[in-house]
This record gives sequence, structure tokens and C-alpha cells, in this order.
Amino acid sequence: MSTLFKHFSGLKERVLTFHPPIGLRSKVGILSLFLLCLPWLGYQYVWEMEKYLRYGQEKTLEGTTQALATALHERPNLFDIQASFLTQVEQGRDLYAYQLAGPIQLDGKLNDWALYRHRSINYGHGHQIFKHDVQAPLNISFNHMVGKYGGYLYAFFEVTDPSVIYRGSNSLKIDVNDHLAIATLAPDGKFKRYIIATQKDGWVSSYELPADPQKRMPVTPELKIQGKWLKTETGYNVEIRLPLEMVGSKLGFAIYDVNDKKTRRLDAIVGTSAIDDVENLGTVLVPSPEIESIIKGMSHNSSRIWVVDKHGRVLAKSGDIRTSNSVWTRTVQDKPDDSFWARFKRDYLHRFYYKILTTPPKDFIDSLQDSTVLEGSHIKNALSGKQGSTWRLTPDNKAVILAAASPIWIDDKVMGVVIAEETTHGIRTLRNKALEKLFNVILTIMSMGTLSLFFFASSISSRIRKLRDEAEEAIDSQGRIRKTILGSEVRDEIGDLSRSFSSIVSRLGQYTHYLENMSSRLSHELRTPVAVVRSSLEHLSLQHLDPDTRKYVDRAEEGVSRLNMILNNMSEATRLEESLSNAENDIFPLSKVISGCMQGYQLTYPEKQFVVSITDEPLTMTGVPEYIAQLMDKLIANAMEFSNEGTPITVTLEMKHRQAELVVSNFGPILPDKMAEQIFESMVSVRQQKAQDKPHLGLGLYIARLITDFHEGTIKARNLTVENKPSSQELALSGVEIIVSLPYIKDK
Amino acid sequence: MKRIAIVEDEVAIRENYKEVLQQQGYSVQAYANRPMAMQAFSTRLPDLAIIDIGLGDEIDGGFTLCQSLRAMSSNLPIIFLTARDSDFDTVCGLRLGADDYLSKDVSFPHLIARLAALFRRSDLQGTESDEESLLERDQLVIDVNRMQVYWSKTAIELTVTEFWMVHALAKRPGHVRNRQELMQEAKIFVDDSTITSHVKRIRKKFQALDANFDCIDTVYGMGYRWDPQG
Repeated sequence: MSTLFKHFSGLKERVLTFHPPIGLRSKVGILSLFLLCLPWLGYQYVWEMEKYLRYGQEKTLEGTTQALATALHERPNLFDIQASFLTQVEQGRDLYAYQLAGPIQLDGKLNDWALYRHRSINYGHGHQIFKHDVQAPLNISFNHMVGKYGGYLYAFFEVTDPSVIYRGSNSLKIDVNDHLAIATLAPDGKFKRYIIATQKDGWVSSYELPADPQKRMPVTPELKIQGKWLKTETGYNVEIRLPLEMVGSKLGFAIYDVNDKKTRRLDAIVGTSAIDDVENLGTVLVPSPEIESIIKGMSHNSSRIWVVDKHGRVLAKSGDIRTSNSVWTRTVQDKPDDSFWARFKRDYLHRFYYKILTTPPKDFIDSLQDSTVLEGSHIKNALSGKQGSTWRLTPDNKAVILAAASPIWIDDKVMGVVIAEETTHGIRTLRNKALEKLFNVILTIMSMGTLSLFFFASSISSRIRKLRDEAEEAIDSQGRIRKTILGSEVRDEIGDLSRSFSSIVSRLGQYTHYLENMSSRLSHELRTPVAVVRSSLEHLSLQHLDPDTRKYVDRAEEGVSRLNMILNNMSEATRLEESLSNAENDIFPLSKVISGCMQGYQLTYPEKQFVVSITDEPLTMTGVPEYIAQLMDKLIANAMEFSNEGTPITVTLEMKHRQAELVVSNFGPILPDKMAEQIFESMVSVRQQKAQDKPHLGLGLYIARLITDFHEGTIKARNLTVENKPSSQELALSGVEIIVSLPYIKDK
Repeated sequence: MKRIAIVEDEVAIRENYKEVLQQQGYSVQAYANRPMAMQAFSTRLPDLAIIDIGLGDEIDGGFTLCQSLRAMSSNLPIIFLTARDSDFDTVCGLRLGADDYLSKDVSFPHLIARLAALFRRSDLQGTESDEESLLERDQLVIDVNRMQVYWSKTAIELTVTEFWMVHALAKRPGHVRNRQELMQEAKIFVDDSTITSHVKRIRKKFQALDANFDCIDTVYGMGYRWDPQG
């Protein structure tokens, strides 16, 4: 357990101590990514809204269908002439007169039907009504359909018959040849039968048969039925038309086939239904002009409206789903606006938005464009007496269509259904508009939010950075106070931090100041007692003393004078610092100062050899030449003290890296490791204890550094080893060089 | 007999100086603090005053005293003898009208020489100048006996140290006098930077009279020289 715990705590520690190197600004940036939740929320909201809109549209559409159904309730006359009362309809037997787009030219060529050919039904074996020889194969069949245009019912028959037997040219009989028989229950309730037979191709003659189904004679010509008979390679085509008022709700067609010209025996009958009896007749559904006129009033409506009978066959239709402008769309039509914002929205934002949003397509496949039979759960629902609605996708997945259906009641029976259909384009447009607005708002909020967060973070991080820089600048590498921190006025946590930093630095500054003044105050305090001792000793020495006493007095005087020198040295640095702080800068040539100094040293120390190399450039710089001379004094004094007997001191001044570089080197003991920095500190000396004839406080190089710092230069010490020398001499020729770099003003 | 007043709060030093000066034949009055000294001075002024800056509780008591004395007499020689040796104090003391500013590490002979010089000057004030003691360099005239310096016949008020420095430089025009020599001439033992500030002050005093004055030439790193103008 303990190992597990250890492991866990170790993990925790690691997790806790993991600090990725991310700045405050980036952190705020990452946090502001949560603003991206806003569009998602907005989208969800709009989605929800769209759901309610759809529900609303559904209800509206159901209302529309209900209103229309109400207009059609209890009007049996609209329905009873049709086959609506049948419990079921049979494909082929129960005919449907398609609405034709134009009149058919009766020429037997069937070109005009090309548009509708796919709806024609092939009648063959399954529709055989009579067969003379049951064993013999049926070699007759036909394609057929009916259509309606301008008060006429059109029909064509494309008969496949290997032997076409025309009516004899002088035969009275009309039924002993290939012919077409028509039977209908006329609107007046009378059962009528007609025969179309011809002697040759061309205009057909039609005859009405007696009402009695058993009788085939006598016949009376019927001129209202017109048509053409055309022989084809496979058989013959018949194209006819008859006025709609002749046709009731029941209709049957039959092709009588005679194959033997001699016997003229009837071989087979193939037809849409048996035509010898009213009961056996099939029905025909002709789209009802009455209903159409009723729903025509609704065509101004935005939806497409169908009225179907209880078999789902279309009785009437109005409106076009594709061009209809939904009530939803119309309400959101914008006024044309040409302001800058509107143009910006249109040109940039919308182009961007509609990469995500989909515009409702103007063009989509409508599978129901010219259907005759409608199906669907909503129709089923409506037929069972309930209102219903469904959503469906167009086959090309481009549009969603809402369909609502309401039943039409006649005496507790559902006789038909009113169906209204609409695309959801309106809602989608509405949704898009809402999303556009939402996106605009969100973009504004997000950009404003992100910007303000960014500026907030920037201001915080810049304040913290400023504080950090101030804190770093406050104390230099030697731990001395360089600058004070000004406490911020802002009354927040960072301001507090800055103020406490400021007070820390100022307290530290006071302490450092106390330490720095230590030596000067000490020297000041010691001076008075030293003066006492000194003046007393001077008094003593003025007396006449015996030689023994004189010896001690002399020693004491020597000690006092050394003490005095120490005190002077101690206060020299402080005095220099003080005078540096209010020194007046001059512009002077550095080369001249250094060469002047070197001449002086050569005079002062005639026994020492100086190797001097000073550049010809004047190296004009800003500062105090006296201090530079003092710096030279200290450097030369240092070099003299450390140089071995008989070795020269080398002084070079040259331009290097855009700085004036002064190098003073001597041969002698080298610096111990890691002392190169410290020798410039106050009271640090690496001098060996031997040969101490003068007090030494290690202030010389400290003063040199003060002066260098004042002139904004750098000072450093480096051990010098001369290579390519015999090892015996190497020690003698090793030494130290002190390099002072000072900025100079560039000459023009 | 010259009367010298010493104002010094440290008993041992006070007594030491008092004794030395008495041995030199001066009449010396010693005071431990400013009120005592002021009380005595209000009845009778000494011929010369040696003042410490820090007097007992008063850190700058000496300065105050110097001001008061100067108010009482414009030609009373005043010497600061103090442990404080910062530039600031020196400048301050000299500006308040002191004639000299000595550090406490000054030796007795040195001190006595300075006193003698001051007395000599105050004695000579008003008497006729001796032709032979005049040193003339163009516009500069130095009257060594009266310790007076004239520039274009106008007297320049210099302290004793400054006087000797000008004297040392002007004595041999064109010769570079390094700091060590100047110290010897001026009979002071201070560090180089004090010499520098003395030279600066001398220049300022001359320039106050003649803005074009640049006879004191800095030879970088070596010292100064008198450069006869023109």
C-alpha cells in the first residue's frame, strides 16, 4: 500500500509541478476559446426554434387541408359519379383518365402520346375475357391508356395482332371481324355499348349496339365517337375520342380478335373489363372539374393541394410546390438595403455563412409532379378518418416536403382526402435568417469579448512584465540597489505587489546604504580618536625625550600614520562615489588622457618599464578626465604592485567592438579561480600577505570599477599566459590583464 | 599677543591643540560647544577662530557658528578643523566664509604654518604692498606678502590653500605641476580629487570675473600648469 501511495503522491507532485511555458496572454486566449460555445448554443437554440416552426407549419398546413375538406364534406354528387364507392380499384380494369397537356391529333400514329406512354398498360393473357380454343395460344394483346382534354376522353389502343381482319366491304355484320367494343354506364344511368369496326385504315365508324347485351343487331351509327385506325407491322393502332358527357363512371374496352377471313369466327376477346354487363364493367376516373374549380380558389395559397378519392387517385390538383412562395418566406423578405453594413454582410459575411448554411434549392426533383395515385402514411391516416402529416425528403435529398392530409366525410364514410404539400424552404430561409443574425451578434460579441479579454490580459501581463523588469533592474549583479521601484497607484493585487516590492527595495536600499556608508562613517568616527593619539604623540615628540622613549614614540607615530592612511583610503571610495553622483561631464579625448598619464608614470617610476601602445584615434568620450586619470592611477598601482621584478607593464588603448578598450597587463602572480569578478569589490584583496609595507584595503580596483561604471563601461580581469615559451619561463611570464571597455563618441 | 579661539567638543584634542598653540606663543581660549563660544565671542572677538563642525549635539554647529562669526566680522580668519572630509562639507565650509578647511589629520607644524599665513594676511591687510613681493603674469598679479591675488587689477578672494596653489602654478608658467607638488606648495595633504576640486573652484572664481579665463590648463593625468594667455 505504501508503495502505491508513494507512487500516487509522486504522480500528484509531478502533476502539480508541471507548468507549461505559456504566457498570461496565451492562457487568456485559450480560456476565451470557451466563447466558441456561444455559436453552438445559438445554433441549438435556432434548431429548437426551427422545430417549433415546423410544428407550426404542420399545424397550419393541416388547417388548410381541414378548411378545404370542410368545403368538400357531404357533397356526394362530387364523388358518386365516380368510382369512389368501390371498395377497391383494380389496375387495368379501373381506368384513370389522365389530364392531357394538349389535344391529341387523331391519326393513329400515337406520337402525341409519347409523353404519357409510360402510363399505358399492357393487356394480354391476364385480361383475356373469352377464348374460343382454350388450348390455342393467345396471339393478341394491346397497350392502352385513356386521357382527358377539353371535354373529350381520348384513348389509344396499340394492338398486336398477326392477322388483321377488316370488315367485309359489303357485309352488314360488324362484329365478325377485328373490332373494338366500348361499354359504359352513361351519366343518365343507361348502359350503352358501341362497336368500332372498319373496312379499311382511316377514319373509323362506330355503332351503337342495342341495350340488351345479348343482341348484336340492329346497330345505329354513332358519330360522336371519332377516331382513326392504322395498320402497323405488328397489328394495328386505334386512336379515338368521345365526349365526356357520354362517359359515366363505368367504362370498359375490349378488343375482339378474328383470325380467319373465311369462317370469321371470333377467336378471343381481350379487354379492360367484361363489357356485356353493367356489373362487370370497370370504372373510369375522370379528374373532377367540379372539385378542381373548388380547389382552384386555393391555388392562390402557397401550398400544392391535391384531392384524392379513397383509392388515392387524384381527383384534382392545384398549385406548384416549386414556385410556391411559402407564407414563411414572404414574411422575411428584406427590403433592399445598400448601406455599408448591408453590403459588407452580403459580400463577406454571407459568403462565409453560406459555406455552413444551405440555401433552400430552387430546383429539386418532385416525384409527385404528375402522379395520379398518392400514397403515404398521412393519406392512410386520413383515410382512416384522422388528420395526418408527414415529412419527406425529395429523392435528390435537396428539399424536405411537408404533407398534411384531412379526410373528406360523406355520411360517416371517408370518401376522399385533401392533401396539402409545402416545402420547408420558408422555414429554412427563416432559420438561415435567424442564424445570420445570430452569427452577426455572436461574431460581434466574440470579437469584442476576445479583444477586451486580450487587452485585459495584455495590460496585466505588461504590468507584471514592467514590475519584473523593474525588480530585475533594481538590484545589480553585485546585489547593490541601482534603482528604486515606484509603487504603482493602481489599487489591485498587482498594484499591491508593486507597492510591496517598492517598499522591499527601499528598505533593502536603506540597509545597503547603511552598509555602504559603514566604512566612511567608521573612518569618520575613528578620525577623532586618531587625531587625539596623533596630536598627543606630536606633543610627546616635541618634548626632549631619551632615545628609548623616542623609539617607542616613533613607532607609535608610524602606526598612527598608517591608521590615518587606512582611514583616508576608506573614505576615498565613499568620497569618490559622492563626487561621482554630482560630477559634471566634459567631452575630452581619451587617448590624450591616457598618454598624458603614461608620461607621468614614466617620470614618476623611472625604474619601471612601460610598454605603451595607444591608438592614433582621439577616442572622444563624455565623462570626467580626472576620474579617468584616477582610474589609470589605480590600474597602474595595481599592476605595479603585482608585477614581478624586471617585467614590463603593458598598456594598450585601441578601438574594439565599437568601444575604446584599455588593457593594462602585468606579469606576476595570476588570479585565483573565480576571483576575477570579486577583485572589483570593495575590500577584497587577493594580495599575498608578504611584503606589506603599506596598508591595503583592496579599494583600488573597487574605485576603478566605480569610475568605469560611471562612464558606462565595463571592467574585467583575466589571467594572462604566454604560450610558446619554455616551461621554466612560463611561470615568470604569466600574469593578469585588466580590460576596461569605455564607450566613445563616434567622430563624424 | 594673538588671541585664538578653539571650539572643539573632544576634550583631548582641544587640550592638545590648546597646549601646542600656547607653546607657540598664542593666547588660546577653548570652548566645548557653540553657546559657550557665542557667549564669549559676543563680549570679545578673538583674532582667529578654529572651529570643529560637529559640536556636541549639534551636527552642523560649526557651520552655524561660522555664519554668526562672519556676520560679526568680515575679516576674522576662520579655520575649520574637522574629522569630516567629504567634498560636500569642504565646499559648504568654504562657502560659509571660512578661510581654510583642515582635516584633523593635519600635523602640528602644518597647522601652525597655516595659522601664521592667515595672520600674516590679516596683518598685511591695509598696509602698503611691497614691490618686490609682487608676482606679475599679464593680467594676474599676486601679492605674496598680503596673500592677495588680482586679476585685471580686481582682487579675487581666495582661501589660503587656493592662494598657494595659484601661486605655485603662476610662479613658473608653462611648467606642469603635478598634484603632489601642488600639495606640497599649498602645504596640504589631501588626496588627488581634493586638489581637483580646489582647481575647479579656483577656475570658477576667476571665471566669475572673466568669462574667457582659461589660464589654468589641465595636463591629463599629470597635473596642471599656468598657461599665459594669448
